[in-house]
Amino acid sequence: MSAFSLAWRNLVRQKRRTILMGTVVAFGFAAFALAGGFIAQSFEGLKEGTIRTVGQLQAVDRRAVTRAEEKTLEFGLHEATRARAILASDPDVSAVLPRIDFVGLATTGGKSVPYLGIGVDPDPEATATSARELVVAGQYLSGDGGDGVVLGTGLASALQVKVGDAVTLMATTPDGSLNAVDALVQGLADVQIKELNDRYLACGVALASRLLQSPETVSKLVIFLKGRADESKAAGRLGRALNAAGYPVVIRHWRELAVFYEQVKLLYIGIFGFVGAVLVVIVILSAAIVMTMAVTERTREIGTLRALGTRPSGILKMFLAEGVALAAAGCAAGLVLALLVRAVLNASGIILPPPPGATHGMPINVQFYPLAYAAGLVAMVVTMLVASYFPARRASRVSIVEALAHV
Amino acid sequence: MGDRERERGSQQPRLVEATGLTRTYRLGAAAVPALRDVTLTIGRGEFVALQGPSGSGKTTLLNLLGLLDRPDGGTVRIEGRNGESLSENARSDLRRDRFGFVFQTFNLIPVLTAHENVAYPMAIAATPLHERRERAGELLREVGLGDKLGVRPDLLSGGQRQRVAIARALANRPAVVFADEPTANLDSRTAEEILELMRKINEESAVAFLFATHDPRVVARARRVILLHDGRIEKDETV
Repeated sequence: MSAFSLAWRNLVRQKRRTILMGTVVAFGFAAFALAGGFIAQSFEGLKEGTIRTVGQLQAVDRRAVTRAEEKTLEFGLHEATRARAILASDPDVSAVLPRIDFVGLATTGGKSVPYLGIGVDPDPEATATSARELVVAGQYLSGDGGDGVVLGTGLASALQVKVGDAVTLMATTPDGSLNAVDALVQGLADVQIKELNDRYLACGVALASRLLQSPETVSKLVIFLKGRADESKAAGRLGRALNAAGYPVVIRHWRELAVFYEQVKLLYIGIFGFVGAVLVVIVILSAAIVMTMAVTERTREIGTLRALGTRPSGILKMFLAEGVALAAAGCAAGLVLALLVRAVLNASGIILPPPPGATHGMPINVQFYPLAYAAGLVAMVVTMLVASYFPARRASRVSIVEALAHV
Repeated sequence: MGDRERERGSQQPRLVEATGLTRTYRLGAAAVPALRDVTLTIGRGEFVALQGPSGSGKTTLLNLLGLLDRPDGGTVRIEGRNGESLSENARSDLRRDRFGFVFQTFNLIPVLTAHENVAYPMAIAATPLHERRERAGELLREVGLGDKLGVRPDLLSGGQRQRVAIARALANRPAVVFADEPTANLDSRTAEEILELMRKINEESAVAFLFATHDPRVVARARRVILLHDGRIEKDETV
């Protein structure tokens, strides 16, 4: 007669109470599993989205790490084509994208609106990032981009332009003079961060270089790695290669650049951590009440077991085993519940509200993360052990004579 | 018994030896003395009835001798070992290995079958499973419940439950069985049968029995009767 066998029979004896408590544990487990899966999915999505925007690594001028540019391309990388070729020759690198960041005014003659410009190499940019997917009218840039530009829908609206219209771009060159080029609106993009959507302008590196009168100079080189390449090792190697070739650069990791990612992650952890803590407290209190009732009802039985020679630790183990058995049974039911709820939620097509800074919600998609399920199991077992411990300890210390006389 | 054996027996410590036992309960602010300076010895194979009116201290004495409770004064020695100096675990082990208990209300574990109830004391003594199974079955057959092995207590009659309790008390081959009013919840005929059974076990296996009882049928079968009154031994006579 093992402690678990006896525990299980005692649980079956109190069917209604066991079902009630098992349901609490099942809901607790399912909440952990589903929320864990949802959070992990959100982090994964956020991480992928961040990497698709900023790349896994970026090669930037050393000075750009600690100082902000006062003039356009003040800390630009010169001889960008050569630097790009050095990076592209690394076996772990899948794509190297030049980027030129600049600001200026876009005008249609009657109206001028400030923009945040980005010069890109259109084809690899479209392949490695989600730039093309943002286009809602017209087309994304191709080839070297020519005179084409893609505007955020907010910016296009402010300028009152549509696909095919001409705009004039003005910007300050690195030497401080003002320059302007004519461009053609080739596409409109719906950038999911509203403030950016109102200022977004993308064009080819060639057009940006012409506007800024800085050929062969880029703000940064965005690097994408192959498959599961080790980011840290690749960063070290690429940095050394560029330094050896005379480029005063540092390689930055995407986590350093995605402050937003870390903030959202911390926010999610805080919210779900708080909810999880409340959940654990509810389960602990419920289980402690149930266990206390069980101990009180079985006081005479405890006295009998002690009289027969069961050590106090044996009584303690018996009630702890009940807690663990209840946790295991509750988690088994919770597993079925979690899988059911997940299937229903994923089929429901519910659109979640947009995350901070985004303009579009996303359909709910709760993934099956075994780690979240394992965490739910561990959390419930530990919770039940904690909840059972004090009633069990009280049971183990009860006076045998008083217990035998208990009515 | 030969002379040598008798000599060896006399050198063995007494089975249960109580000296100057006192026990007082608190009832609010009042102190109620339940036992006052009780000294007695229980030998191997004895069949003893503790008799006395309600409140005379029978159950209190039984609890102290069975190491279920601790006295306020005096000592209980079990085969020479001072029960008061033992840890709670050591007292548990001693109860498990040397004592059996039979209660007025049977006190069987409701979730266990008759067979499992009898096997329980052997399980906590870490007796091998096959041995436990064999002996529990054997004991239940001995008490006339060979056909009730897999039955739970709630489906047994009072007499059958007490038989299971007796079989359980004998599971670890105890030196003494403490029985607190074992016939109080039984009808007359069943009580007679149960007493006959215990008497038979006592005679055949030399297990000592110590009863706390009001029942004259128990007293009539006892070979030694100890009369308690107001927490003191008034009479201790061998019949």
